[in-house]
Amino acid sequence: MTVVQFAQFSSLVQPTFWHELSRVKLDVLRLSDDSVPLTATYSTGRTIKDRNTGQDVPLGCNISVGGESFSEDYSPPPNSITARGVLKNYNTIEEFKNADKRALFNKLSDEIWDSIIQNHDVAALTRFLLITFADLKKYKFYYWFAFPAFAAQPLWEIDDDWTTPEAHLSQDQLTSLAEQLSPTPPPFFLVRPAQDNTVETAPVNEFSTFFADVPQQSQTIGFLDPSAQASAPGWPLRNLLAYLRAVHPEATQTVRVLCWRGDAASSRIGVLRGGPVDADKPSAVGWEKNVQGKLGARVADLAPMMDPKRLADQAV
Amino acid sequence: MHAIQQQYWAVRDYLSPVLKESKFREHGRITPEEFVAAGDFLAYKFPVWSWEAGDASKAREYLPANKQYMVTRGVPCLRRATSLAYTDADEDAERLLSFGDSAAAGTEADEWVETHAGRRTNTDSDANPRIIDDIPDLDGPHEDDGFSAAAANLSLSETPDLDDIPDMEEDLEDGDDAAAAPSKVPPPPRKPSDATKEEVTNANLLSVRTYDVMITYDKYYQTPRIWLLGYDENGTPLVPEQIFQDVTAEHAFKTVTIEAFPHSASLQAASVHPCKHASVMRKLIERMNAGVVEEQKSQRKGGSKDNKKKWLFKRGSGSGKDDKQPAGEEEEVEGMRVDFYLVVFLKFIASIVPTIEVDSTAAF
Repeated sequence: MTVVQFAQFSSLVQPTFWHELSRVKLDVLRLSDDSVPLTATYSTGRTIKDRNTGQDVPLGCNISVGGESFSEDYSPPPNSITARGVLKNYNTIEEFKNADKRALFNKLSDEIWDSIIQNHDVAALTRFLLITFADLKKYKFYYWFAFPAFAAQPLWEIDDDWTTPEAHLSQDQLTSLAEQLSPTPPPFFLVRPAQDNTVETAPVNEFSTFFADVPQQSQTIGFLDPSAQASAPGWPLRNLLAYLRAVHPEATQTVRVLCWRGDAASSRIGVLRGGPVDADKPSAVGWEKNVQGKLGARVADLAPMMDPKRLADQAV
Repeated sequence: MHAIQQQYWAVRDYLSPVLKESKFREHGRITPEEFVAAGDFLAYKFPVWSWEAGDASKAREYLPANKQYMVTRGVPCLRRATSLAYTDADEDAERLLSFGDSAAAGTEADEWVETHAGRRTNTDSDANPRIIDDIPDLDGPHEDDGFSAAAANLSLSETPDLDDIPDMEEDLEDGDDAAAAPSKVPPPPRKPSDATKEEVTNANLLSVRTYDVMITYDKYYQTPRIWLLGYDENGTPLVPEQIFQDVTAEHAFKTVTIEAFPHSASLQAASVHPCKHASVMRKLIERMNAGVVEEQKSQRKGGSKDNKKKWLFKRGSGSGKDDKQPAGEEEEVEGMRVDFYLVVFLKFIASIVPTIEVDSTAAF
């Protein structure tokens, strides 16, 4: 039995996001520091084969925002999942530093918890918070992401290690699963075996009916996994597990989790035990660490790519 | 000066007529319709590529509104091109030799795979130890001559921010304390028992840069044009000096420059200037075409229609070429289709930015 470790989201901010933020700040927000809704996307974790060493190198567990994150009717690229979040942009660096981050974070984690308890809604499980200060004259952007995740107490443990899904599902079942997930994979889903060596999938909020006549060892809970590390599932699983323990406490002492990473070969599966026993709201964690590995803000210095003078200098 | 130049380019681009006639085999240039056909094919064959509409106010009317340019995000880049550059003169010659050999030896498919294989073995055989030496450099300050100035710049600009951050950290550590105990265990990098393995993963993660790669259609040069937006391992955007580290020395600062991305109001991105694209593409297409025609002929004779390369010349009906050809044998030996243009183009781009894995089409 080892403790399950989760790969935390790492933010990837496309330059177009800062361009759009500058525009929104100047034209729409002006001096207001109201919250702005945002959309981020993540997709399956990827590994890349290093051609020199032959090793598979896992890429980061990325969640990205871009210029289109501000638009309300943003449609994600194929095979990716959207996560909703809030942007809070401050007018001065002091306000940014002194912001009541704990209150903002707690507010968001409360919202997630409420949506679990009241609506049994999995759509709101992956949320994020972004606080920013845009130094528009110097083209510098200070920012800090938080991805609230409920910390299970006691911790989740895994029976053996994470393995490839062939250990639990047959080749045919995996092919059938891949077909069902391929065009628009859901962030979270349930899997049960069906006739002819295939599987059926269903949304997580149909848990009780879908798994009503299915023996526990045939139930599988899947999620689209942004992590590519062999033994660390991605961040979204934490809130899914919190959801399952809160909404279906009696049926989820043991859960078989499928980390779907785009195809059967790179996906992982494992049987987890433990998790919280009472239905109180667990504490949440999830502020992103900065480049130095500490809890702190990051800075994107876009002067080299935005400042007309600097651009003119290097264009010879 | 640069601004004037950009204005000039914009006007020139505006005035130049849209290419109507298909000339891709003769000149290496393509029409917007062929660009769309080739793009559709690329997106169909390699779903990492997708079409984007871009900024509506910057849309080009000769391209469909929802197919203005192609994009693929998060293209990994494991090491710097400067580390490949050490394997310079003689090895490059070797690579060319092996290229020639394989071309003489057989089919076009082999020839292409060989090119890449040739480069790979070269770096492997001789430069491997040196490349491994290079990796730690990437984590620490970059010592490479020529870029040290850029690196110094960077660390300078990062240090003041460190001053800003501690206040914030104190502020939050307090706030996180309630959750600190459980949070210490779950995130993988914090676990002592996992230390050795985690070090490995982290070391690997740290050196991986990613790129967003865009392909636009350049109306003046009538070729596709490639654009790069880079991020370091922390998701921080790369500055131009850092991007040039991923471009082979012959091209950095010369054909690769930072310019305004045509489908955005304000975005600047690194781009490979397309002035030589047409002639290079023509050569590449000629070479490939010979192989394709050869294969088609032999296939015709053998009658083995179920060849797995069938899609290469059978699929798609969007291009004008197809319509002109009568059915039957003629069609079978028409040579390389324009659909394939962007696949070839990516191979060409891969030679300019060897460490950025733009060429997801290596299998072909």
